[in-house]
Amino acid sequence: MNADVLIIGGGIQGCATAYHLARQGASVVVLEKDYIARHASGVNAGGVRLLGRDMAEVPLSKASMEMWQTLSDDLGQDTGFRRQSMINIALDEADMETLRQRKAMMRCEGYTHERIISRDELREHLPHVNPDCVGGVTSDLDGYAIPYMATNAFRLAAERHGAQIVAGEEVLNLRRVGDSWLAQGTTTRFEADTVVNCAGAWADRIALMIGDNVPLSHAAPMLMITARMPHFAKPVVGAVSRQLSFKQFENGTVLIGGGAKGFADRANNRTRLDYSKLANAARTAVEFFPIMRRSAINRMWAGLEAYMPDNLPVIGPAVNATRAFHAFGFSAHGFQMGPVVGQVMADLVLNGQSSFVLDAFRIDRYDRKVL
Amino acid sequence: MPAFDCAIVGAGPAGMSAAIELAKRGARIAVLDRGRRAGGQIYRAVTDSPLPDTQVLGSDYTEGAALVAAFEQADATHFTQADVWHVGDDSRILFSRQGETHELHCREIVLCPGAMERPMPIPGWTLPGVMTAGSAQVMLKSDATVAEGAIFAGSGPLLYLIVAQYLRLGVPVAALVDTTPRSNYFDAAPMLPRALRRLPLLKKGLSLLREIRNAGVPFFRGASALQVLGDEHAIGLRFIAGGTSHEIGARTIFLHHGVQPNLNMTRAMDLEHQWNPEQLCWQVKSDAFGQTSVPHVSVAGDGAGIVGADGARAAGRLTALNILHRLGRLPRTDRDNAAAADLGALAAMAPFRAFIDRLYRPTKALRLPNVPTTLVCRCEEQSLAQLRAGFDQGARDPNALKMLTRCGMGPCQGRQCGHVLTELLSDWRGEPAEAVGYYRLRSPQRLLTLDELSRFHAVSAEAAE
Repeated sequence: MNADVLIIGGGIQGCATAYHLARQGASVVVLEKDYIARHASGVNAGGVRLLGRDMAEVPLSKASMEMWQTLSDDLGQDTGFRRQSMINIALDEADMETLRQRKAMMRCEGYTHERIISRDELREHLPHVNPDCVGGVTSDLDGYAIPYMATNAFRLAAERHGAQIVAGEEVLNLRRVGDSWLAQGTTTRFEADTVVNCAGAWADRIALMIGDNVPLSHAAPMLMITARMPHFAKPVVGAVSRQLSFKQFENGTVLIGGGAKGFADRANNRTRLDYSKLANAARTAVEFFPIMRRSAINRMWAGLEAYMPDNLPVIGPAVNATRAFHAFGFSAHGFQMGPVVGQVMADLVLNGQSSFVLDAFRIDRYDRKVL
Repeated sequence: MPAFDCAIVGAGPAGMSAAIELAKRGARIAVLDRGRRAGGQIYRAVTDSPLPDTQVLGSDYTEGAALVAAFEQADATHFTQADVWHVGDDSRILFSRQGETHELHCREIVLCPGAMERPMPIPGWTLPGVMTAGSAQVMLKSDATVAEGAIFAGSGPLLYLIVAQYLRLGVPVAALVDTTPRSNYFDAAPMLPRALRRLPLLKKGLSLLREIRNAGVPFFRGASALQVLGDEHAIGLRFIAGGTSHEIGARTIFLHHGVQPNLNMTRAMDLEHQWNPEQLCWQVKSDAFGQTSVPHVSVAGDGAGIVGADGARAAGRLTALNILHRLGRLPRTDRDNAAAADLGALAAMAPFRAFIDRLYRPTKALRLPNVPTTLVCRCEEQSLAQLRAGFDQGARDPNALKMLTRCGMGPCQGRQCGHVLTELLSDWRGEPAEAVGYYRLRSPQRLLTLDELSRFHAVSAEAAE
């Protein structure tokens, strides 16, 4: 099977890249070892968040947030996106001080999308919040989407533009021969001019085949979701200094995250949960929102996600091979960036450059220059 | 922390028999069961029945009392009203009891999740007033309550049994609508000679049917095209039998066409499963001793493939013998000698089971929905048409379809729709059930409040004793 571009990994980054490339006329094949959005892209918390981003990510994240607002229309497919704003809650004065420092830093860079809110405004948006909480910070453009729907929307749109998505095909071997990349899949051989590595928690293995070493690790952030309950929280909720994250969907279910990690069994393509840590997460959720004490947990799960040591992704060209590019290692906050990363990768593949500064995301940023 | 040698989940005939055998040879065991008393579904409330005379329920039921008594005398730590919501292959079991979460460690695990009734997704099956024959049995055994003037529809021994029990109690029955197709009698006929070796069982079944006919209950055979009537509540059943369309009024309709293993626990553990083409259901892959693809996890009873109560008792004892061997308490030759009788008994039961399976094999028209608006997933209210639309969008795998449509995401975790979905996808893809697979399941296996989860305790085997 031949194509201009071979994308490895059918998560949101891979599907968005396929969409932007196919739309501009490139022939694209996406290889996915399981099925679309099987891991982090399909089972994440669905947060579409600009709030609290690392400074290096803000330009990309802001551009992506603009894209999310009209994404369902642009793709001709519902992504489940709902703009609801997001609030990070400050538990005490120390949290408020953290927020004021960040605000000063953001202002220096000219960013104004984060707004500190008072105790009263916090209560106005979240009437059921623990009365001890003193304030917070909010971003109005933020919201959530349905992970599988959003990834699948990119996939369907990409297919409409002629991209081929091949599920159940794992890349066993990848090598550069002359001007081509040759990939041996589980059943089929593929050949392309360019390869794009969007392999998520498996991206270090693909990077190695390309020729780049990268200090990628993987983990299994855990989530739990309740049965439907009466609506009590419209914004997506986080906390400044505690492991809390939750959102109530339109159907009334409440998704509780917060970053507690289970066990990532990458070799067996699965995760195991650490229930004592989930018990802590439950305690934290009830502490912030006493109304959740009686809410019933329906499911708990974890996804396999890739992490870089600095929690920033790798986005950019390979350093030890030609016509190869990477987009992975989003460290549990890549879902929101999917739309813009697709565009960046297409620009890199087709034009050799992007309008964004990508220095912070170089794959070789951990290479030791001196022993 | 002191651990148990073995934890048994479920105190039905399989779990009780396993516990008795293990305790007899000195293993330190824990038995976890949701009920206030042991017994499981079949022997529910057999030792403290609210009925004045349990003889109406039949000797298969009353004989359970002796097993429950023997179990209660065995040296086992019995956690009653323990709702197990997670079993890990790391030997940890999590359960809720009195509003708190407990974690227990054990060397060996025996799962006895039992069976559940196969859903019958006919139009109107989710209306209030439509229940299963099993729920009629629960009402009768636990609370001594009955529904007068109900229709019983479907096929299989359990359906005939509950009708007979109703009649013995003098409860009027509107009709028995038997969906066993005529062709099943021909298909099963070749298996009859071998099944005849279990003549008493066969006679028992025939006498049930005779009892129902003699009572003068309207009895329709070979019924098809079933449809529950009503908008807000069931008001009757429409069906075709003997070439004509019938409509019978009733506010309660009990449906039943066989049972299938309750998969949630074994699937959530990611044990290997296989499709049983005779029983048309998934079952755990296990050896003659119930040992699964995870060696320290065994499964016994209907949860491992439908074997009935007698089969479950034998399977429970066999599983116990193998675990005693694994624990170093029983040499292999002793295990095999002790196992011979039960292995022989199970082999002898097999032809009769095969005959019954074939005779009461539910038809595809009743196993799978065929009206677009019929709900497949009750919890998330997903209809046949919505699932098909998801499939046409490219979600060909049960998990992809789940993520796209939310089918199987509700509180029952696919218990109701899982088998139906496997068969639907198998049809649509034109591939065998094995290639389609099943939902990837997650704990908790029942709803759990945040408060319950946050009260987290470890159970020590010594403290428990």
